Amino acid sequence: MYGWIWRHLPGNTGVRALISLVLVLAIVYILFQYVFPWAEPLLPFNDVTVDNGMAVNR
Amino acid sequence: MGTRLVVRTLSELCVTVGTLIVLLVVYVLYWTGVRANSAMDSEVHRLQERWSAAAGGQLPGQGPGAQAGGNNGAPAGTDAPAGAGTAGQGAGTGTGTGSTGPGAKTVPRKSPPPSGKSFAVMYIPRLGRSWAKPVLQGTGTDVLKKGLGHYDGTAGPGETGNFAVAGHRRTYGDPLKDLPELRSGDPVVVTDGTTWFTYVVDGAPFTTRPDDVGVIDPVPAESGYRGPGRYLTLTTCEPEWGHSHRLIVWAHLDATEPVAEGKPKALLSRPTGPFRSP
Repeated sequence: MYGWIWRHLPGNTGVRALISLVLVLAIVYILFQYVFPWAEPLLPFNDVTVDNGMAVNR
Repeated sequence: MGTRLVVRTLSELCVTVGTLIVLLVVYVLYWTGVRANSAMDSEVHRLQERWSAAAGGQLPGQGPGAQAGGNNGAPAGTDAPAGAGTAGQGAGTGTGTGSTGPGAKTVPRKSPPPSGKSFAVMYIPRLGRSWAKPVLQGTGTDVLKKGLGHYDGTAGPGETGNFAVAGHRRTYGDPLKDLPELRSGDPVVVTDGTTWFTYVVDGAPFTTRPDDVGVIDPVPAESGYRGPGRYLTLTTCEPEWGHSHRLIVWAHLDATEPVAEGKPKALLSRPTGPFRSP
């Protein structure tokens, strides 16, 4: 998988390394900005109220 | 060749999933805290700025109002024209009556602040000298990312009834991580910009079921309070990293002072004062 990506990146080794770094950073950004905020409420750390069902609807 | 490709792809997938999990843990344990702390600090800052701006404009009128309230002693049911005037008067009556007994008169309930907006700052010296968190209206997930949440429909700070507030125990800045450390006699100070409300904790933290809405009743049945009064309830999750139960702390209003008279005693004394841990 990673080898396949590497082979399909353009340029020489330096350019490929740079593009890989940018790709990794972009993926981490998307995860922290969009994916994890969506996934985090599914974990049990948000239930701090005694009227959970109602609080969600508010 | 085929086997090698399968094995390599499989191990790459495992490494990817592992990295994802590590990143998620970093997000939950660290990044939510960074974001929440900066959000809470800016909420507190914004509130203080708004209050100091309001105080600058209305302080001359507020002084006599507070004094008049103190002189009257008995709670006045009249509504002052300006918001600051009402708060000043309320503060005056509070100091006049001292500790509020079961026979305390009902304070006219103000309309609740808009949902999701911060309206008060809470200080709990037991949780740290610099522990100051904003209180926002509502207890939705997004609200609790920016501070403590005030249950809709419960009393406001200093009002007769139950000022019920929820907060994260873990993640999002861990605001109520040390809630179990609270014990009888610990002060919980709340300010709405015009008045300091000093609540005093009663009893040890109480563990209950997640659906026990009775704990935020005006007079919570299990709290030991018998008559109507001015109470405060803090709720968070229990155990620390779970959601099978809730941890409840109750407090009653002990004193109210106008902000103009400076910080209340509870915030000035070091934790080694009367609230020292045994």
